[in-house]
Amino acid sequence: MNALTQYGVLFGLTLGTIGFVLCFYLLACAIGSTRREPGKDVPATAGSLSRDPVWVRYHAKYYGYALLFLAFDMEMAFMYPWAVVYREEGLTALLDMGVFLAILFLGLLYGWSQGALRRQE
Amino acid sequence: MRGARHGTMNALQRIAAAAMSRDLCGFVVPGAEIARTVGIDLGDAGLRLSATPRHANVLVVIGRLPAGLLDAACVVYAQMPRPRAILTLGTNDISPLPVPDATGPLTQAGLEAAIADIRRIFAMAAFQPDVENFEAPTLETSTEYTCPMHPEVVQEAPGNCPKCGMTLVERETAGSVHRGHAVPEQKREVAAQKHSKPVAVCHDRSKGGHSADGDNHEQHKTHGSGHKQHHMRAKPDNTEAPLQYTCPMHPEVVSDEAGSCPKCGMHLVPVAEAGGHSGHDHKAHGKAHDEHSTDNHRGGHGGHGGSERVEGVEAHFMSMVDLTRDMPASADGLKMEWIDVPFGPFFPGLPGGLQLKLTLDGDAVATTSADSLVGSSDPLRANPSSPIEFVDHLAALSPLSPIAYRLLACLALEQAAGQSVAPDIARARLAVVERERVASHLGWLAVFGAQSGSSWIEKRAAAFQLKVQGAAATDVTTLKPKLSTFLAKLQRTPLLAARLSGIGQLPANDTLSGPVARASGMASDTRSDDPVYAEIGFSVLTMTDGDALARLVQRCNEITQSLDLISAVGSVARLEPHSIGAASGTGEAVVETPRGAARLSLTLHKGKVIAADIKTPTTAHLTLIGDVAEGQELGDALTGIGSLDISPWEVTS
Amino acid sequence: MTVLIVLVALAVGAYLVAVLESWAVHGRLEPARPAISALALLGRESLLARTPDRLFFEAGPVVLLVAGLLAVAVIPLAPGLIVTDLATGALFLNAALAYVLVALIMAGWGPNGAYAMIGGWRFLGQFVAYAMLIVMPITAVAMRAESLSTVDIVTSQSALWNIAYQPLGFVLFVTAAMGLCWLPPLDLPTAPGDLAGGIEAEYTGARLAVLRLARMVLIMALAGATVTFYLGGWLGPWLPAWAWSAIKILFVAGLMVSVGRLVPRVREAQYLEISWKLGIPLALANIFLVGVITLVVPI
Repeated sequence: MNALTQYGVLFGLTLGTIGFVLCFYLLACAIGSTRREPGKDVPATAGSLSRDPVWVRYHAKYYGYALLFLAFDMEMAFMYPWAVVYREEGLTALLDMGVFLAILFLGLLYGWSQGALRRQE
Repeated sequence: MRGARHGTMNALQRIAAAAMSRDLCGFVVPGAEIARTVGIDLGDAGLRLSATPRHANVLVVIGRLPAGLLDAACVVYAQMPRPRAILTLGTNDISPLPVPDATGPLTQAGLEAAIADIRRIFAMAAFQPDVENFEAPTLETSTEYTCPMHPEVVQEAPGNCPKCGMTLVERETAGSVHRGHAVPEQKREVAAQKHSKPVAVCHDRSKGGHSADGDNHEQHKTHGSGHKQHHMRAKPDNTEAPLQYTCPMHPEVVSDEAGSCPKCGMHLVPVAEAGGHSGHDHKAHGKAHDEHSTDNHRGGHGGHGGSERVEGVEAHFMSMVDLTRDMPASADGLKMEWIDVPFGPFFPGLPGGLQLKLTLDGDAVATTSADSLVGSSDPLRANPSSPIEFVDHLAALSPLSPIAYRLLACLALEQAAGQSVAPDIARARLAVVERERVASHLGWLAVFGAQSGSSWIEKRAAAFQLKVQGAAATDVTTLKPKLSTFLAKLQRTPLLAARLSGIGQLPANDTLSGPVARASGMASDTRSDDPVYAEIGFSVLTMTDGDALARLVQRCNEITQSLDLISAVGSVARLEPHSIGAASGTGEAVVETPRGAARLSLTLHKGKVIAADIKTPTTAHLTLIGDVAEGQELGDALTGIGSLDISPWEVTS
Repeated sequence: MTVLIVLVALAVGAYLVAVLESWAVHGRLEPARPAISALALLGRESLLARTPDRLFFEAGPVVLLVAGLLAVAVIPLAPGLIVTDLATGALFLNAALAYVLVALIMAGWGPNGAYAMIGGWRFLGQFVAYAMLIVMPITAVAMRAESLSTVDIVTSQSALWNIAYQPLGFVLFVTAAMGLCWLPPLDLPTAPGDLAGGIEAEYTGARLAVLRLARMVLIMALAGATVTFYLGGWLGPWLPAWAWSAIKILFVAGLMVSVGRLVPRVREAQYLEISWKLGIPLALANIFLVGVITLVVPI
């Protein structure tokens, strides 16, 4: 199979999954429908009713890690093709990527020293 | 079956019903720890337990539910998907919940029979053609109409505000119409500054979701109901009287109170800030806000007088600093919205009956509010009461450690009557109390295992607790080596120290009692004053760190110590008070319950108890919840609260 | 045709692992339990919260299932028995697994309930912790195989399995995989003790069945990935290739679902700290080590 056919198969798999899920839901609908009752649709919070909306700005405490993650994710995007040709390129490949990784690692160390790698209260 | 689903039992429904009868999942009220104290092993009877009512199809009610929990039980039942059943043990009347589908005595055999009944009922009646909704007073809501600018104006029908003429917006509140002006359930006793939390961003998000609708009025109404809940939090009690509030987008809207703009829902800001900004970058509000403003307020942008216009940017720019001016800041200086989340009374990792409300800043706890729904206020049920009644009543008030409270009542009665017991009975009583201490600490370990996600700890501790509870002294001695191995392995569990050390640190002070106090280094144990204990060779165990790990190790050590004490005594006896006759007098007694020292003082008159006053350790520990949880991440906060071993039943008001 | 065989194998494998998981959690071996649960869930009502984000709420389980199946599509069960042998198979696996995060955030945000939302955002923190530790070991594996195709990665291990060649990478990958499918002790998004079910709690009935199925498929995909990258895929003596695949994948999946229940849940702050301060330097060291070894040793 060439790549286009392969992606076609994967797309078909996706559609098939969605179709399977829809059939499943139809079967469940055929068995019965949901009855609306007071209090049933309030999100379950351990015995107390709480109708407050929770779609607020969430204070994520891990934003320091997330920023560094962006940098490393970009690095990994470069490393995939490098890994494939690594063996045939030999030592120069190791040294080139080694420099790149070292720079990023220094960035990690800098972030660590500045307190990025901790729970930001 | 009252909780059946609407439908007729055709082939599909029959298969589903048969599957459901084999796949029972229960939600236990008030909690699995109560079941274990009574000797019931829920897992053994074939019932899986669920952490949330949404995944359960059987509501298991253990024992008589106190009035404070009935409303919460109604809420939990209402949130279970149909078909659902109720199983009660040891009680029959649980109104306002519907009549139970299966009931039985409070024993393991009763449970198994009731479960068999429930399976039959599911298989036969899971789908019924006529079902009624489940209604209860706590679940009722009614729509009120209120003015966005004047929250005190509330009417039951749509109309206009008598003060400013604006159209009233809908709001959903708890309580039925017949109860009169019901308190909107979002109002809470919190600091005033928290009430002026900005609602702008929250509104806009919900508006963004609704702005796809074409109908302007409908949009406004849903915005209204969406943001009014937040608006109601803005208590009109700002102290800067002459300050007026205006909307950054609509300068014609001026109000004396902080709140939300009735036209667009944005947080009103003091007049001084709104006027002096040029440029405009609604990055926080984004597209939704602009869509909304173009749809609904075409004329609204005309009135921006007095501010400089920058090319291509709208007037009345509000920076994030201004928007978040009144918000409370977290420890790192960021101002993000906080949400109020209830964690009780039936939260799986916490003791049942503890109503905990946490204000969460992200996933950290900002403020806590803890209360017990099952506390007792009066140790005397009837005045005057006979000694047997009094002892039984006091034991029933504390289902998690009834024997310690029985002993407390017996000792106080005997002291009031001026009697004392024979030494061998005193030693047998000691063994019973120590056996209960072992069981209670094992029960705490099981709850800890459930809360921290280690099902191995939970199962083994629960199994040991059930074995120890009714055991004779010789059985206890046989259990000792296995229990010691378990405790040793438990303390060597990998990641346990990582999970617990440093959490819930409490310095030694007088409000602490029991293992919590001893784990903080205080050598406070009322057993050291007792000659019977001294005879057997009792010494107080303490730890130094005062954090959750120290408390766990302390309780494990106390288990081992109690097992040694029981072996030294060699026999256990049922606790009965000596016959008092017609004595009168006052008596006081102190007993070291598994959670701390409990003190009882009572007055006898002609052999009947006419006055009693009790102090329990848990009442003081409730106040520590704030110290332990605030500022911590949610999981750590719950671990800390759990490590205090709070029994909400023992809280006296 | 191969698609069908792979899907059937996946279904059987997921069923067996579900039985194993219920054995690990509840202590009883009940072979019919997953089927009974599925039928029972069909018969229950499927509730919708009162002010949900309907799109996100419905899409969450579906996206999770699709992500899991796309990941399974690049796992080879035997020479020629793979749904699509993409030339960039390992990269595609990673890309598909990235949608697990999307699905869980949707599931957390959708019902407009506090426990679910916190579960969703906690999972994002967990993602920031495990993501690099999935990607970097895969890079090291690809270095040895000189290709990103999963079939080539398996054949490159014919002399020595990667678990012996790159043990550091194996340890990092397996722990990160457990974080990806939120298995205990890294089950922060659905913690029963902290969040009373978290993101799973607001799903009932048929939607819950799809969510649980999706989670099982995801576990199988990750077990398959571990076996492909580190345990030599279908390689082995005497037995046919598919039998070896089956044994290895079931073994790894069984270990993943049962081992974690002995220890308490890992705290999110600690997980992030360990992953970034210890895990990433180790992963970089692993890449460097593998780089040196592959240049020196010809296998």
